Parts: sequence; C-alpha cells; structure tokens
Amino acid sequence: MELQLQNLRKQYGRKCAVNNVSADLVPGVYGLLGANGAGKTTLMRMICGVLKPTSGSIRFNGKTMEQLGEKYYARLGYMPQDFGFYPEFTAREFMLYMAAVKGLGKRRAKKRTEALLEMVNLSDAADKKIKTYSGGMKQRLGIAQAELNSPSILILDEPTAGLDPKERVRFRNLISDFAREKIVILSTHIVSDVSSIADTILMMKQGSFLLQEPMSTVTDSIRGKVWEFFVDERAAEKCCREFSVVNLRHENGMVRLRVIEQAAPTKNAKTAEPGLEDLFMFHFGGENQEQGVKEYVGKI
Amino acid sequence: MLAKYEFLKILRKKSTLAVMTVSLILTGFLFGLPVMQYQTYNQDGVIKGAEGIAYEKRQYAKLSVSLSDEYVAETIQEVQGLFKNPDNIGNDGNEQFLIGDAYWNKIAPREKLLNLIANTYSNPKDIRGYNDLPDLDIEDGASFYKTMKGKVKTLLNDPSRGLSDKQKEYWGNMADQVDTPLQYGYYGGWEIIISSFELLMFALFAICIVIAPVFSGEYQAGTDAVILSAKYGKTKLITAKTAASLLFGTAAFILHIIVACAPVLIAFGTDGFDLPLQIANTAIPYPFTFLQAVLINIGIIYFVLLAVIGLTLLLSAKMKSPYLVLIILVPILFIPMFLAPNGTAGIYNLTLFLLPYRSAMPEFGKYISYQFGGLVLDALTVRAVLYGFLTIIMLPLAGLGFRRHQVS
Ligand SMILES: Nc1ncnc2c1ncn2[C@@H]1O[C@H](COP(=O)(O)OP(=O)(O)O)[C@@H](O)[C@H]1O
Ligand SMILES: [Mg+2]
Repeated sequence: MELQLQNLRKQYGRKCAVNNVSADLVPGVYGLLGANGAGKTTLMRMICGVLKPTSGSIRFNGKTMEQLGEKYYARLGYMPQDFGFYPEFTAREFMLYMAAVKGLGKRRAKKRTEALLEMVNLSDAADKKIKTYSGGMKQRLGIAQAELNSPSILILDEPTAGLDPKERVRFRNLISDFAREKIVILSTHIVSDVSSIADTILMMKQGSFLLQEPMSTVTDSIRGKVWEFFVDERAAEKCCREFSVVNLRHENGMVRLRVIEQAAPTKNAKTAEPGLEDLFMFHFGGENQEQGVKEYVGKI
Repeated sequence: MLAKYEFLKILRKKSTLAVMTVSLILTGFLFGLPVMQYQTYNQDGVIKGAEGIAYEKRQYAKLSVSLSDEYVAETIQEVQGLFKNPDNIGNDGNEQFLIGDAYWNKIAPREKLLNLIANTYSNPKDIRGYNDLPDLDIEDGASFYKTMKGKVKTLLNDPSRGLSDKQKEYWGNMADQVDTPLQYGYYGGWEIIISSFELLMFALFAICIVIAPVFSGEYQAGTDAVILSAKYGKTKLITAKTAASLLFGTAAFILHIIVACAPVLIAFGTDGFDLPLQIANTAIPYPFTFLQAVLINIGIIYFVLLAVIGLTLLLSAKMKSPYLVLIILVPILFIPMFLAPNGTAGIYNLTLFLLPYRSAMPEFGKYISYQFGGLVLDALTVRAVLYGFLTIIMLPLAGLGFRRHQVS
C-alpha cells in the first residue's frame, strides 16, 4: 500500500499555499508539523479529493484518484479541521448517516457505529443532539466518523485542536489504536501531539516540506548543536537577538536559555539532548514563537 | 437508502415544518378568499356565503341544458320580447336595460348565459351584455355555432395578434374539435380555480425555501468535506439528494393542490367538471372540459415546479449559503408578477407568457402560440416542453456543481 504525492501544488491567486510537495507514504503514522498557515489543511484537502491541486498528482497504489473514483474514497477516512455537523442530529444518527454515505451495509453500519461510539467514549451521549456537545465531544465524534469505513488512509487535520491536556492524551491513545496497518497523516502545530505517536515527521513551512524524517533520526541534524546556559535578564535579551533561542525560562532571577548553534554560544553552555520541540522551534521560532514556547514550557 | 436519509433530513428540519405550514395556510387562504367573500344578489338584496352559493346553484338547475341553436334562438327571442314592453325598460341616457321583475325574474338568474350568447355575436373589440340581444336579427334561426366559429376566425385574423397563417390554421383546427352543441350548467368552483392558479407561486417558492439548503446547507454547516470525501459523496449521494428533493417537491405540491382546490370544490361543488370550457367563453379554442383544463394546467405548473427545483438545486450547489440561493430565486419567481403583457404578440409578450409566474396562468382564450419553422405549438405545450427540458438540464448541472465543489 502506497500513497504517492507527486509535485503537488495549490495556488491561490499569487499565494502558493502548497508548493511542490512530493512524498511516498507507506503504512505508518505521519506527523505533519507546521505553523498556522504552513499549508497543512490545503495539502490534506487535496489528498482527500475535496480540493483540486493546481498541478501535480496523487496516486494510490499507482493509480490516480480520478482513475480510482469511489474505490479511492472507500478507503479514505477524513477528519477535517473546523468541520461541522447537523446540529439537530444525534451522534448515532450522524454516524449512521455517514455510514450510509460511505456505503456501509445496514448491519455493518450499526455495528461500526456502536463500536466506535464506545471507543471514543460517546455511548452514553449517543442519543443527545450534537448541538449540545462540547468541543471535545465533537472532536471525538469527528474521529469516530472518519474511522467508520475502517479506512486504509486516515487523514486527521488538527484533531487535538480545542482539547484540554487530559483529553489530548486520551486522543493520542485513540489515534494510535486506529493507526495499525494504515497510512495515517495527522497534522498539528503542537509538537507534543505527535512526538509520541508519529513514526515519521513531515515538517511543512510556507507550503513546502522542510523535512521528511523517521522519528528516530529526525533530531540527528541538530545533535550536538543544542545548548543550555544561564544568563542574567539583560544579557538574555541580547542573546535572543544573536542566537536561535528555542526556549527561555526564568529561574531564581536568572534566565535559562536553550539555543541551537553550531558552536558553543558561551563558555558555560552545555550541550543538551535534542528534542522534536527544539527542531520545531528552530524552524518555526520566528513565526510561531509565542504559542510554541508556551506549549513547550507547559510540557516541562 | 441514501435517498430515504436525505428525505428525512429535509423533513426533520424545523424550518421545513414552519415554511410548509405558513405556505399551506397562505395557499388555503388565497384560494379560500372567493369562497369567504362570495356574494350574489336577488331582488331582496345580497346573499352571502354558503347561502349565496346554494341560491345561485338553484338558479342554474334550470340551465343544465344543451345550448342548441333552437334553445339559443328561443332565449334571444324571450329577451327581445321583454324589451318590447316599455314598462320593463330603463334608460341611463346611454343604453337601455331591463328593470323590475323583468330583470330580476327573467335576466338575473341567467345573466351569465345571456352575456355569453351576446358576446358570441359581438365584434371582437366590444364586450356585450344581454341588452345587446334585441339588436340581433334571428329571423332565420340563431346560427349560434356558425357565429361562434366566425368569431374565432375574426379573432385569429385580428392583425394585433400577429398570427401567421400556420398559427391561424392551428387554432382553427383546434377550435373545430370543440363538441357542439355545448352543454351548459353550473361551473362556479372550476372557474375560481382556473382564475387563481398563479397563487400557487407562493407554494413553489415555499418548496424552494425548503430545498435551497440541500447542497449549500452542507457548505454552510461545514459538512461538505466529510461528505465529499466519503465513498458515495460525489456519486450516489447526489442522486439521493436530487431524488429526495423531487420527492419532497412532489409531495408538497400535491398537498398544496389539495389545500387550494378542496375548499373551493367543497363550497361550490364539483358541478361542471365535465362541461366544456366554451360555456365560460365561446372564443376558447381548447376542446377541454373544466376538469381536463384544470388537470392539464396543474400538470404544467408541476413541470414549472420541477424546473424551479432544478434551478434551486443548481444554485444550491454553487452558492455558499441557502440565503444566497433564495436571493437569486425571488426575482426570478416574482418579478414577472409585476410585468404585464400589452398584447399577445411580440417577443416581450411571448417571453412573458413563458416565465414562471405567467406560466401558471393558462390563458385559454388568448391564442398564444409559438412557431418554430413549420411547427406551431400552443403556450401550454411550449411551457411543458420548456420546463421539462430545463429540468433535465439543471438537475445534472446541479450534481456537477456539487461534485466539483471546492472545500475552502
Ligand atoms: N481559499 C483560500 N483562498 C486564499 N488563500 C487561502 C485559502 N485557503 C488557504 N489559503 C492560504 O493558504 C495558506 C495555507 O493555509 P492552510 O492550508 O489552511 O494552512 P494550515 O492548515 O497549515 O494552517 C495560508 O496562507 C492561507 O491563508
Ligand atoms: Mg489548518
């Protein structure tokens, strides 16, 4: 099973939302990391056939989406970003409706609906109207509908957005349960969402893939270049301008800085074990500083 | 299966129930107005409502006759006789008319029939009444049907109608098929229905309001992405949505027809369903009974409805929200209401008679026809063909619009 993206491009007027993206995807979990506006959603929409690429092609086992038609969509599960429901439907009704659109037989539709509602912990609320649901419940229903047809390709666009930290952990577990034997692409701008479950990291910036690396080697490029050291507040400001700071923390009146540099930035700097967060901050620090640092600090 | 889901999706929206309720009440009210406002007169004054209808029907009981030449001649002679007695005659300086018992007993109960006869003998430009009957020379018999044919011919030859020889031949042939002598009788209910058809436009619009979200509602709700990426999202679902819309439209239409016609036919009775249209106006060329005429025109309005559903779905697939769909539909459905024809010839008039609102009006007596090369078709046929054709074009275009919808 192989999903091939070949020179995918999507142009909005002058703006290139996705620029020449190529990748050969085999079963596994792909963490699609990128700041807001990087082009993740646009890329996923094209993979799911709801947005036409300006150029390039998407092939599944060698055949294009157009050639496969229903056969392609039958193997696809999609949880879009910011998508909607029918507010007057109950969760169970919505699942059964989606099952029908996905071509599941009546019996299988019922079975999958019950099983999935159970898995996403919505069984008790299954007969409540969706308009009464919280954001987290809607997200869970969203992933449940994506999984209805037991897809081979599962596309999840920011599935953890709007969840609190506890829900987020549960969600990660859920996704890794669903992920077996599938090509799963999970987009996020939050590193911690994918650091534990992704096999491969796809990092996207301004419409292009910055890197495609297995999780195990993704941080190799910055190994030995991550430094930590303490400075006073005034010096910290200067350092922020001089070095690529990936994290900054106030400790006992001093500031602990974590930077990525080829050589030791100061005499007392010590190398640190590189993490995905460092890599992310290194690439996106400029544009996503505030949110990224907050996330990172939150994790420590 | 999918179609059932889509149909239920339409039905269970609260707005569907609300819109349909309002529209059914409005339709029932508009068609019911003539019932509620009905009044007739006799010597003692006004008789209103059900009593008035019953009174009128009693008058007509004596008029359920075949309008043979002899009967028409006798009738004319009777009126002429009344005018011979000066005691019966009033004069407003302009024209003579009958007064007192002569009017109330001999004219009033059958004034419509007398007007029908008078108008058959009159010049096309004049509208005549019973008081023109004394001028007629019927020494050699009434020749009512010869006169009726002659009048149709005169009307067809009127240059303001701009009819080609082919068109005149077409209408002449049609008029020849009218069975004579005409059977007369009461047809009060059918007359009201035939003159109220355009009021069904509100029903059509209400159906559009309900159908408008079929595609655009998915865009608005943000469900387009999950649906279009599902196996049948771009194939069977579109068929299902179309089928559900047509099914709903048909069911709602039938319901409206019942609500519109039932009160009228209950109040006035179905009397006259098998009588020819010509007893309302002898210039009508269509050889239909009142029931046939009503059914045919309902059929044409149904075709208009189908095309309007097609257009609604097409707009629905192309627009971001149901409101935008309605904003475009309102002028299409209702602007023709404010455009009045200034005749029956010319591009403007001929187009006007094909627009949705005017298409609901049968205009049985106006000889509106369209010529394509050697082929002449009347307005009713052209409407059926046109709206059938539009339906067949719009429905697939709507599907294509949804299939090609770009989520963004
Ligand atoms: N419909 C659109 N019209 C114009 N620009 C768009 C449209 N959709 C997305 N973009 C632009 O494309 C870029 C990528 O957007 P998106 O794919 O949503 O990024 P992400 O999901 O990574 O946050 C953004 O700069 C966005 O403004
Ligand atoms: Mg996005």
